Amino acid sequence: MSAGSEATTPAPRRGLADWRQRHASTLRSLRLYAHTFSRSVSSMLGLGLVLLFFLLVLIGPWIVPFPEDARGAVNLDIKLQAPDATHWFGTDEVGNDIFTRVVLGTRVSFQIGLIVVAIALVIGVPLGIVAGLAGGWLRETIMRVTDVFLSVPGLVLALAVVAVLGPGILNAILALALVWWPGYVRLIESKTLALKSEPFVDAARAVGAGTARIVFLHILPNCVSPIVVKASMDMGLAILAAASLGFIGLGAQPPHPEWGAMISIGRHYLPDFWWYSTFPGLAIYLTVLGFNLLGDGLRDILDPKTRSR
Amino acid sequence: MQLHPRRFARLAALLTAAVLVAGGPAAETAQAFERKGDKFILVFGGRQPVPQLDPSQKYDWSTRMMQQALYDALVKYEGDPPEIKPWLAERWEVSPDAKVWTFHLVKTAKFHNGDPVDAEAVRFSFERTLKINKGPAWMLSSVLKPEGIKVVDPHTIRFELTDPFAPFLSFVPWWYVMNPKQVLANQDGDDLGQKWLTDNAAGSGPFRIKRWEQGVLYELEAVPDYWKGWRQEKPLAGVIYKLIREAASQKAALQRGEADIVEGLSPEDFDIVAKMPGIKVENHPGMTTFGIKFNVQQPPMDDINLRKAVAHAFDYEAFLKIYNGNAKLQTSPFPFATKGHIDVPGFTRQDLDKARAYLAKSRYPDGGIELEYVYVQGLEEERKMGLVLIDNLKPLNISVKMVPLTWPNMTARGAKLESSPDLMAIFATPVATDPDAVAFQYHKESWGKYYGTSYYDNEKVWSLIEKGRRVADWSERAPIYAEIQKMITADQPEIFGMLANRRWAMRDYVKGFQFSPVRFTGEVDLYTLEIGE
Amino acid sequence: MALFVLKRALLLGLMLIGLILIMFTISHVAPGDPAAVAAGPDATREMVEVIREEYGLDEPLPVQFWIYLTNVLQGDLGRSIRTTRDVTHDLLRYFPATFELVMVAMLLAVLIGVPLGMLAAVFRDRGLDHAIRLVSVSSVALPMFWLGLLLQFFISLKLGWLPLGGQLGLLTERPPPITHLILVDALLRGQFDVFREALAHIILPAIALSAPALAAIIRVNRAEMIEVLHQDFIVTARAHGISQFRIVAVYALRNAMIPTLAMIGLRFGWMLGGTVLVEGVFDWPGIGLYAVQSAVNSDFQPVMGATLLIGFSFMLANFMIDIAYGWLDPRLREAQ
Repeated sequence: MSAGSEATTPAPRRGLADWRQRHASTLRSLRLYAHTFSRSVSSMLGLGLVLLFFLLVLIGPWIVPFPEDARGAVNLDIKLQAPDATHWFGTDEVGNDIFTRVVLGTRVSFQIGLIVVAIALVIGVPLGIVAGLAGGWLRETIMRVTDVFLSVPGLVLALAVVAVLGPGILNAILALALVWWPGYVRLIESKTLALKSEPFVDAARAVGAGTARIVFLHILPNCVSPIVVKASMDMGLAILAAASLGFIGLGAQPPHPEWGAMISIGRHYLPDFWWYSTFPGLAIYLTVLGFNLLGDGLRDILDPKTRSR
Repeated sequence: MQLHPRRFARLAALLTAAVLVAGGPAAETAQAFERKGDKFILVFGGRQPVPQLDPSQKYDWSTRMMQQALYDALVKYEGDPPEIKPWLAERWEVSPDAKVWTFHLVKTAKFHNGDPVDAEAVRFSFERTLKINKGPAWMLSSVLKPEGIKVVDPHTIRFELTDPFAPFLSFVPWWYVMNPKQVLANQDGDDLGQKWLTDNAAGSGPFRIKRWEQGVLYELEAVPDYWKGWRQEKPLAGVIYKLIREAASQKAALQRGEADIVEGLSPEDFDIVAKMPGIKVENHPGMTTFGIKFNVQQPPMDDINLRKAVAHAFDYEAFLKIYNGNAKLQTSPFPFATKGHIDVPGFTRQDLDKARAYLAKSRYPDGGIELEYVYVQGLEEERKMGLVLIDNLKPLNISVKMVPLTWPNMTARGAKLESSPDLMAIFATPVATDPDAVAFQYHKESWGKYYGTSYYDNEKVWSLIEKGRRVADWSERAPIYAEIQKMITADQPEIFGMLANRRWAMRDYVKGFQFSPVRFTGEVDLYTLEIGE
Repeated sequence: MALFVLKRALLLGLMLIGLILIMFTISHVAPGDPAAVAAGPDATREMVEVIREEYGLDEPLPVQFWIYLTNVLQGDLGRSIRTTRDVTHDLLRYFPATFELVMVAMLLAVLIGVPLGMLAAVFRDRGLDHAIRLVSVSSVALPMFWLGLLLQFFISLKLGWLPLGGQLGLLTERPPPITHLILVDALLRGQFDVFREALAHIILPAIALSAPALAAIIRVNRAEMIEVLHQDFIVTARAHGISQFRIVAVYALRNAMIPTLAMIGLRFGWMLGGTVLVEGVFDWPGIGLYAVQSAVNSDFQPVMGATLLIGFSFMLANFMIDIAYGWLDPRLREAQ
């Protein structure tokens, strides 16, 4: 990808053909990306999984057989029934349909993943750019604080935060966001440092471009690829982390249909009522797998330098 | 490329296999119970650790099970219904105004190190608990001061209370007697041995500590010449209390015979293991009430008609379903095993017509309000009750917001009138069989305690409670408590729920199990157990 | 070199203080009243005040922080308000179990990951490579706790091959402590039965814990091996008729070990973090279980203590890797 991309200048309304012509090179590389991507089985598998779960997020409430079961209905007469034609994944300890809860759990997990990654981006990217551009004591301070946060495994720090704030979806999101941003600071800072000394940035500065212009025209667009790759991976990891907090009992709380919490309750009913913790676990696995494969595939085409790593 | 893939595959497979094989066949299961000579060691699989053994600092079920095994008290609860049996004290007298209590000690009792258990040891122990002012201190601290404990002679001790206190005796079983010499010899500064007694014991009980691996297991060994003697033909050689935190592991351990008794399984699991060969389930009505407390002083629950409406909408049968029938609905604010319990006539049950009628009389005739239901996060049954509540209140157009909190945060909410929630799920176990132990939960003095979060306000009931404490004669007290039960019921300060059965699953060779409802959930009197062939 | 080490050590100290500050800040935004909890459910108001004073909870915040900081630096992590036990004491008791588990898990990850990475490189872009890639991606995506439950369900409950949890059988006595690591102590004491038993207990939790590290090691080894296989000296060796097996097993593997070692250092901290998930499933009496049990009871001192210990171990591991690199590569030293 070249620097200062043309796409950011507003295009006057002209014909489609004209637009195509003007963006021929971008389109060509996009087509190449698509081609490379679609040839990789694992990337396509990842994309497929992610799209499938996104679809469930969108249409979940309309396709599940017992939507009220996700809001805390009670059918004690049919509790802990094995999977059958009506209850594909069986029922839980208050007689709720596990299939319904797993499908609607997609929404909870995606919501957490998206918000956590978004907050991490909003905090991490500006800090990374500031650290990279400013240098000196400011960079030193930002990076040392980042280091301190990175010195504790995220899950442990999140555990400590949630232990203090109390369990719940909001607190879990807060805790995870709090431990997630430092990764972006590191990524963006090193990228900014590298870009800062590129000839085209020097050139822009020489012709009198302000810092804001350099950031928005030259630095940010070039950070997009690594951010997309990392964010895609992080979606999966944040969902996994949220499920982990749920499993410990400090994440989303019932009757919220959250996968980790479902496994946590379901394990008390192992081994006889195996379906209870099996299906939510499978859902986590497939979601995280999807995002990881997708992230891998995206890295292969967007960031080929680090390909084999 | 000239490769020999098979060779690499073999190398990798070898490496991998080497790792896996190492642990392969080593999983021999332990035998049913451990033998020591011709005696047996019983294995108890429990979920709750015993981090603090000091009888003056802490009590909960697992802690007290160990304390009861290691220490003796003046008297002891035994049986169902629970009776107070002479123990270190062979007899006692009380003045008619229930103010002076005199205990005569047995002369044969000895601490584990051989020192005699005398009146001075009793005085020291009571004073220590009062001074440290933790754990059980609250039970007596309002009426007993250190100056009031008098050693009459080496075998007689007298308690002179500041106020008449009829329930005195019913708390004494939880005040264990420690050996002053051992405690003082192990003082750290002036901590009265608090640090040392955390992981050590200085008692006279039927067992003494053998292994104390915090967080893993606690092993007791029987004292062969226990001063009170052993009742069974072949007493145990010892007991291992093994921490098994997961239900599946507990079940598996019991099934394989690695554990002889387990507690805390889910209702479903108890039903499953009961059907397994060689396993029996002890199943007894307990003394722990489950109620959903209303905050009766804050809107909207200050409206008695709303309280009655909610209480009549609740599906009490759901309790029985949640516990697979192993629970008993309350028929009074008092548990069944409490002395003086009566079945209150017309006790609240589900009745939607009545619920609607009460709602119509309330300030919210059309519902349209949201109530907050606070419960202990992670407590399965309370969570299920919340779901039941959501379901039951829908017809009244009342919605319920479930708020799980950790116990500390929950008690913090309940500690203040303003923050105490509309509905709060509370399991409460009275520590004594005396009716005062339950009645006092409705006294003003209990406001803000976890069992006093309804901020119940009825001066007539309060003065009756105070009156009940002042008379020693039971025939005078009984009618007072009957009246209290009826009056509290009429005010509906909570949804009076149920008493869940206490259950233990054990191998069928475990004999001598004696249930007593006044012990906590899970707590077993280890003294009476034995292993038969 | 001495200056380099000193600088690094200074940085380590600063970061530790930073971490303590973060932990202290976090723990003081709590809503509940810790003193009331410690005093127990039936406590009177005076009993609560006794506790508050005893734990210094009545002091102003900066004073509390100063007390906490000086205490931590002296190795005193406070007392658990729920159990009244000394946190440092408890952590020292539980740390060896965690350390042992992490070590075995790391060993597993290396012993399985390195050969798999090699195989994937040798069979690059063929079926086996794809299969191994699936293994590696899966072991990141599998929730550790769920993997643990699956292992328990199939290996312990259905097949009965390995025990469900714990470090040793119920009645087995631990070997008299030398290192406090059961496996090592059992060997040193010559108690081979105990060693086998301990090994049988540690395998399942170690597998569950090693999954993410396994993925990383496979990836690094595959990439590194592909690179090495194309380097001049390998090509030369091949031209000299040295067998393919020898080339991969000796030359290439030796070269691929360096990045693997770096990966181990990096993963050490993450594995310590993973114990909060795995230890609970397997009833493993380590600091992860301790932290979780304290966290769900809002018992902050132990959570803070465990977090500090894990963070500090991680920092120390990185510090040592830094030093090792500085020693191996003098240019790095001068750059600092």
